[in-house]
Amino acid sequence: MLEVAGLAAGYLGERVIDGIDVEVRTGEAVAVIGSNGAGKTTLLRAIAGLLPRMAGRVVLDGKDLTRSPAHRISRTGIAYVPAERHLFPAMTVKSNLVLGAYPRRADRDTLELVYDLFPRLRERHRQQAGTLSGGEQQMLAVGRALMAKPRLLMLDEPTTGLAPKIAQAAFEALEGLKSGGMTLLIAEQQVPLALSVADRGYVLENGRIRLSGTSEELDRNPEVRRAYLGIA
Amino acid sequence: MRAVVLDGIVLGLAFGLLGVGMTLVYGLGGVINLAYGQIVIAAAIVASLVIERGESQAVAAGVGVLAAVGLSVLLDLTLMRPVYRQHGEERTLLGLLLTLGAAFVIGGLLAWRYPAGALYIFVGGDPISVIGVPMSVGSIWASATALAVAAVLLVFFGATTFGRGVRSVIQDETGARLVGINPSFVRTVIFALSGALAGVVAIAQSMTGPLTVNAGFELTTFALIVTVVGGLGSVAGAFLAGLLLGVVNALSAHYIGQYITTIVLLGAAALTILIRPRGLLGR
Repeated sequence: MLEVAGLAAGYLGERVIDGIDVEVRTGEAVAVIGSNGAGKTTLLRAIAGLLPRMAGRVVLDGKDLTRSPAHRISRTGIAYVPAERHLFPAMTVKSNLVLGAYPRRADRDTLELVYDLFPRLRERHRQQAGTLSGGEQQMLAVGRALMAKPRLLMLDEPTTGLAPKIAQAAFEALEGLKSGGMTLLIAEQQVPLALSVADRGYVLENGRIRLSGTSEELDRNPEVRRAYLGIA
Repeated sequence: MRAVVLDGIVLGLAFGLLGVGMTLVYGLGGVINLAYGQIVIAAAIVASLVIERGESQAVAAGVGVLAAVGLSVLLDLTLMRPVYRQHGEERTLLGLLLTLGAAFVIGGLLAWRYPAGALYIFVGGDPISVIGVPMSVGSIWASATALAVAAVLLVFFGATTFGRGVRSVIQDETGARLVGINPSFVRTVIFALSGALAGVVAIAQSMTGPLTVNAGFELTTFALIVTVVGGLGSVAGAFLAGLLLGVVNALSAHYIGQYITTIVLLGAAALTILIRPRGLLGR
């Protein structure tokens, strides 16, 4: 479904990631793991079109998106939930969700689907997004992304700023989405959580892919265990 | 007293529209359009030229508004492009500089070519009594136009998908891009809309009295004050501030004197900002 080949991107002409090859197949959940500053966010932002790609290609279902700006990519079927969420703080929960379907009208079925997935959003649909708790804002960010009926959902550090219990719940929700057929690409520092939902994973180090494999392989890999799972 | 307040409201409605045009452009991209008053004047001069050629006032009004839209789009597609490539303070500064330049160029050209240029749209009929005060038909038309445009704006921003999209860009540009909104396109449309509002203000003001070629900077100053008092980026705030300042303006012109009304206005603005730094309805 998603093919990223030789991708390079960064800031102010400086390459933060380089030579990245990533593939995501339909229905799969893929994790991108790595320490802080490894380039996970840069990779997702480059795929989402928020950063200019300095080299390489991004292809979704055979369609070359390498030169597409962010607003066109989101309309093409890739929804991106950034760690900072970027909600519309002075609008209601419902308005945020409705905007997720832009430029189409939000259809009732999708809205109901999101409300069923996150009943908390239904309860608070008239509340301003800026007044929600961290966990609720994360739900809203995911909900808004789903409103566009994406083929691929990308999440950057979905557990940022969440208490452990709520982080756990967030990943359970992602598990639910996956079993509903959604294709996921997740960047996450909390490696055990990430590998619990992912089928496969890529380990990013200093802007390059260091390792890749199935979640079991990565979980067993001594390097991964030492560096990210805190197990000697 | 009642007559003075009513005059203030007529003026305040026009101030409100000016403020909306300026506040939206600022809210969307951090650019304060210092050429805004000159765009109003350009609309007025174009309309007056159309009237001179013997066309009807209605046609002239339409052409004037279109001219303001055209001029605004032209500015957006040329002058504003390098501005939007910058970010943060640099963008605001470059925007101030370039629009100030545009103000001098547009204002200077118009004053040079049409030194006696002025638009006065005459609406006939006997004065109509409003709460016991005789109001000229022109003033009533001007107010009705401003109110109608305000109502359209309210529906546009409150109930349409595109209007919601505009608000989303003001609140979080990255978020807007992620849901499929092209901020650059939105900015061009809103710059055009601000031009249309400038044109409407030109027509409405000229119904209450002549609008002369030298009024540009005064109009920009009013728009700026209204924008700041209303809260940057707030449409409802701009209307509220426009009405408030229109009335303050009329009262001070009547009771204190025409020459220091701008000082009184700036004083009122400064006071508001001291009490509410983010403006009446600013976030």
